[in-house]
Amino acid sequence: MSMSQEEIEALMNGADFEPEESVEEAQSDDLAESIEEENFDDILAGIEGISDDEPVEEENFDDILAGIDGISDDEPDATVAAEEENFDDILAGIDGISDDQPSKEEPKVVKSDEKSVDNENDKKYPLPVENEHKVVNQLNEVAEDSEEKASQIFDVLSFILDENNEIQKYNKDMGLFVEKQIVLLESLGTKFPNISIFSENLQLAKNALSESKQLSNKVDGENNIVFEAMELMQYHDINRQKIERVMSVIRSLSTYLNGIFEDDSDKPTVQIAKHISGDGTSTVGSDDLEALISQFANEG
Amino acid sequence: MRILIVDDSTTMRRIIGNVVQQLGVAKDDYDEAEDGVVAWKLFQENNNYDVVLTDWNMPNMNGLELVKTIRGADKKVPIVMITTEGGKGEVITALKAGVNNYIVKPFSADILKEKLDGLVKG
Repeated sequence: MSMSQEEIEALMNGADFEPEESVEEAQSDDLAESIEEENFDDILAGIEGISDDEPVEEENFDDILAGIDGISDDEPDATVAAEEENFDDILAGIDGISDDQPSKEEPKVVKSDEKSVDNENDKKYPLPVENEHKVVNQLNEVAEDSEEKASQIFDVLSFILDENNEIQKYNKDMGLFVEKQIVLLESLGTKFPNISIFSENLQLAKNALSESKQLSNKVDGENNIVFEAMELMQYHDINRQKIERVMSVIRSLSTYLNGIFEDDSDKPTVQIAKHISGDGTSTVGSDDLEALISQFANEG
Repeated sequence: MRILIVDDSTTMRRIIGNVVQQLGVAKDDYDEAEDGVVAWKLFQENNNYDVVLTDWNMPNMNGLELVKTIRGADKKVPIVMITTEGGKGEVITALKAGVNNYIVKPFSADILKEKLDGLVKG
């Protein structure tokens, strides 16, 4: 809970200094750490699909697989539809059966099965994440860009203030001149009351002095508006700190999720099956399989 | 009056600088630092500041550490913390560390003027 300036004043005046060791300690610790310790359960609860209570349902695997590039239910449909038309295409759609010969230009040197499987999986999953796609990087860029733009806005406001100060200076000089002219014209008007030009110019000079004062007031008012705008620019810093808080949470969450999904076992990565019985229409039926085998045998 | 303004945000340093200029402090009479490390270096080099205005959350050395460092060196210079940290616990922590006054962002020029006047007169 944020304190108002009045409450801070009360504290300044020697109000209650309750021992709040926990608060003090929490402050000294990094925000990310405090979040990491306390809020991960809440954070995880807010992420769809991650739950301590329920195992992931089998039905959801279809959705998960559908979201992964390279695993699709559509391809085999096409395979079945084209069954009678293009035998080579059908064979290409079946894992493990391939006419393709290794290219002579790019010979595949397989040092060990384990390694090749790892590499193959690494190429597909997860998708490559470039720097510009990283959320924290993007937020950092936004914060820095915003700081730069705020500085430029401040330059403009400072320029307006400087120009207004110049205007005030010129206006003051003009005002002093007009005041002297008024004194002179009053003196001349007193000495030569019958000459109307003195009284007329005296009135004009008085009007000019009045307008000069109005101009000065307007410039002062404009300066105050600029000062207000400058004060409002504090919200840029406040918002930047809010962004930094979000970045901190994301970093902590990333560390935590990495910890959860990390595989500490030495078990080698096994190539995953693309089409498994029960996936739907993606698998080849036994009749089709037999037909393919016999046709392949005939061709061979 | 010599003032040291410490804040990692360029905009905030300029805002505070602008306010102290409104209060009659010349541009040459205040220095700026972007973190506690630079501030402490300036503080040691010049050692003639009448007031330190510091933010709390900064990289390298934060404002609280700066306050403790200055107080640890037995310096009596008045320090005002100007920060977004508005929690009671934070205010108490800062006061215990040795700040003389505390301003929560966003603040008005009048508030800073009032606090500075109080420190200078006090």
